[in-house]
Amino acid sequence: MLSLDFLDDVRRMNKRQLYYQVLNFGMIVSSALMIWKGLMVLTGSESPIVVVLSGSMEPAFHRGDLLFLTNRVEDPIRVGEIVVFRIEGREIPIVHRVLKIHEKENGEIKFLTKGDNNSVDDRGLYKPGQHWLEKKDVVGRARGFVPYIGIVTILMNDYPKFKYAVLFLLGLFVLVHRE
Amino acid sequence: MAARNGKNGLLEKWRIDEKPVKIDKWDGAAVKNSLDDAAKKVLLEKYGYAENFNLVDGRLLICTISCLFAIVALIWDFLHPFPESKPVLAICVISYFIMMGFLTLYTSYQEKNIFLVSVQKDPAGMDLNHTWQLSSSLKRFDDQYTLRVSFTDGKSKHTREQEITKSVGAFFDGNGTLVMDQFEKCVSKLHNTLATEKKTK
Repeated sequence: MLSLDFLDDVRRMNKRQLYYQVLNFGMIVSSALMIWKGLMVLTGSESPIVVVLSGSMEPAFHRGDLLFLTNRVEDPIRVGEIVVFRIEGREIPIVHRVLKIHEKENGEIKFLTKGDNNSVDDRGLYKPGQHWLEKKDVVGRARGFVPYIGIVTILMNDYPKFKYAVLFLLGLFVLVHRE
Repeated sequence: MAARNGKNGLLEKWRIDEKPVKIDKWDGAAVKNSLDDAAKKVLLEKYGYAENFNLVDGRLLICTISCLFAIVALIWDFLHPFPESKPVLAICVISYFIMMGFLTLYTSYQEKNIFLVSVQKDPAGMDLNHTWQLSSSLKRFDDQYTLRVSFTDGKSKHTREQEITKSVGAFFDGNGTLVMDQFEKCVSKLHNTLATEKKTK
């Protein structure tokens, strides 16, 4: 058998201790998951923390900024406000400003968005045939932000091998290391 | 422990019970763990007591239930996308954190620092077994290791404790290898003190 010294601790463990190591790993993953889901419930947004991916909202938001969102039903969407929305069929949330709104008497709205730093409105980004966004496309409104931290997420997504390597090493560390 | 049957053959090759324990002498957690393990070995192998897993099982159960809540939340949210899954998610998240609270209380008050609960079976075959418990403490960045042996008489339910505090330097050589002989002597002395106290009472 390979004589990897760092595995010595694991090799000396009995079944219960091995199970506990796996549980430990599971608990760390579960804690992260529960915090995320908890934030989802608290904020009402399906993605309570997003990273700004492009420079289309400079100088307000820069690439790599982390945004905290809420999506309360009571928040009215008004022209000039910044919303985070998702286009049907696309995963990536977009952070832009509301340009125009059409409002029906019963409160239903259709709105058009544009990035501050873009020269045209977002119609080119919407689904083919779609000219307006609706409330259901909104992921949330930015309530707070932390600059630069999101660069890590961008890096991880641009270099997935790096992401998997980091996650693998972290997972291995948790599994092998005794408390 | 050495007499595993062939079914666990692969596990047997993987395990290294007989190799001398070598750890990083500056890693406090590893030092404490190896001393605890060695103390366990002494009580279980030399004196032949049977380990009672109830305490550990309790902790494993709490952790397993917590993970189950997380898994349920994950699957439910996957099957019924977000806004509809809100109530179920809320319940799962709250239950998870309640279980975490339970776990903390359990480890602090039930388990304390006990790492071994073992039963000394009465050779005469009478039902009353005595319980030996081992607990230990080693402060962060400190070298004073305290080992506490506690004996609970099966009949009278009286508990007697004896503890000893020594520097970890007494049990490890310069390379971080555990000198089992020294440590075994120490644990045995502790054990025998309590055992003889029992006889004189």
